[in-house]
Amino acid sequence: MAETIIQLDNVSVTFQQKKASVQAVKDVTIHIQKGDIYGIVGYSGAGKSTLVRVINLLQQPTSGRIQVGDDVLFDNGQEVISTKTLRQKRRKIGMIFQHFNLLYEQTVIQNVGFALKHSNLDKKAMQAKALKLLDMVDLADKADAYPAQLSGGQQQRVAIARALANDPEILISDEATSALDPKNTNQILDLLQRLNTQLGLTVVLITHEMDAVKRIANRVAVMDDGVVIEEGSLLDIFTNSKEPLTKEFVGAEKGSKAIAALEDAHLAQLQPDEIALQLIYFGESVSEPLVVTLYKNFNVEANIIYSNIDVLGETVVGTNFVVLKGTDDNRQKAIDFLKKANVVVKQIKAGDVDHG
Amino acid sequence: MAKTLANIFPNVIYQGWLGDGGWWTSIVQTLYMTFWSAIFGGILGLVFGLALVVTDADGILPSRHLFSVIDKIVSIFRAIPFIILLAFIAPVTQKIVGTQIGTTAALVPLSLGVFPFYARQVQVALKSVDHGTIEAAQSVGATNKDIIVDVYLREARSELIRVTTVTLISLIGLTAMAGAIGAGGLGNMAISYGYNRFANDITFVATLLVLILVLIVQILGDFLARILDHKNA
Repeated sequence: MAETIIQLDNVSVTFQQKKASVQAVKDVTIHIQKGDIYGIVGYSGAGKSTLVRVINLLQQPTSGRIQVGDDVLFDNGQEVISTKTLRQKRRKIGMIFQHFNLLYEQTVIQNVGFALKHSNLDKKAMQAKALKLLDMVDLADKADAYPAQLSGGQQQRVAIARALANDPEILISDEATSALDPKNTNQILDLLQRLNTQLGLTVVLITHEMDAVKRIANRVAVMDDGVVIEEGSLLDIFTNSKEPLTKEFVGAEKGSKAIAALEDAHLAQLQPDEIALQLIYFGESVSEPLVVTLYKNFNVEANIIYSNIDVLGETVVGTNFVVLKGTDDNRQKAIDFLKKANVVVKQIKAGDVDHG
Repeated sequence: MAKTLANIFPNVIYQGWLGDGGWWTSIVQTLYMTFWSAIFGGILGLVFGLALVVTDADGILPSRHLFSVIDKIVSIFRAIPFIILLAFIAPVTQKIVGTQIGTTAALVPLSLGVFPFYARQVQVALKSVDHGTIEAAQSVGATNKDIIVDVYLREARSELIRVTTVTLISLIGLTAMAGAIGAGGLGNMAISYGYNRFANDITFVATLLVLILVLIVQILGDFLARILDHKNA
């Protein structure tokens, strides 16, 4: 069992406005394990940013309990950490933002140096460390440039170097790739993944782009209207999502729409010897010629009516909607065979499409 | 050449270079008043402007009460017309400087007259610093002092220089009124020696000199604001 590094229990955040009060985060409990890349997805306004800001208390929650590492930061409606300790704690929780938020009147290396101001390093050591950090994000040659002279992706890398200045254990990425083009987005995501593997950095990745989560996260929470509606491993969320919003995010909607369109033509007119199935398969089973095997071994015809492949991190996940045609006995054998081959088999009834 | 000048500007020449009412004396008086009240009023304005931003609801040390007190002080001082302020605070001037009249005595009302204006301008300039930048600084454990010095003041420095330029120019305008309490200066020259004595040539030359002064401040300010701005590559 991995060690829990961020523990949010029953956290609520309420903003008091003149007349109405807005509850941005409602009774959220999330436990993030050390070494996770934890994706939090949801549409804007879902409360994702507010939720992660309570981790380093940039946002004070209204109620709940916050523990980061061994330190409880907030409990029983109040901060239980001194301002000075909180500042030290914050240095161990790096954060990057959608708009980079660099100091534009300071050079790249000064930006990193700013984070090292209270690090007890002398000037020379500070300079050396800042340069090393810039080297890690491949920007050592831009040390003396001003941020405005860099591209968006480069600016975000400076921000990452700054966030990592005090060797944090956690990096919070608040929509850090949302303002970047796809190429830079992937570069930043791959960098985050590299840092995760090399430094054991725990990454909290807030985004509204499912592709980002698919690329690097291992766990996912889906937020809607201040509530975490679904939480689980990436594979789980992709193959077993229950909430409509989650399905929308993981793109299962596409599959179900395709099925709906095909419903009249195929599913609604299933012959007595036909059965409609959803097959989800991972990794190696993808490469096996299942359709051929089914026909050869069980004399079952498999008619693929929709097919899709997703790449989740390192894992390939395929989804097929098929119509199996054969005798009852043979169909059952075929299904047993598929299950043995680690394929998730779900039966789809006409008019009641279970899309995953 | 000198003769032609004497014909066109007889009064200007008569006024002389040094001594009471001399041109050099007036220039020095204007510079003296502008400089020192810019220092005193500037510090006061900067402190008040900073305090307004820091204690504001979205500031780093929000305090509704403190903000509203500072806000009201600035608003009230800003509402008093300068010429009335001159008279109104004469007793205070007496306490501080020991006299109510003269160039040095004018520094008190000038500083008090310019600081609320500057405070408001500083407030606007500092507000131009994106809240996200401050949040990012907090996320790396910056102290409030770090945020004030390295984020607010440094990030907004070009804006601060621009508003300082505007304030200095309006301060030069205020020094003209300080002539009312015998502070001298180019403004006083234009009114007392020029306008009041129907010596239009004096008014003209005094105005021209003020104009040159304003122009120098403007050019210098624009230049500094430009070279210290790295927000746009």
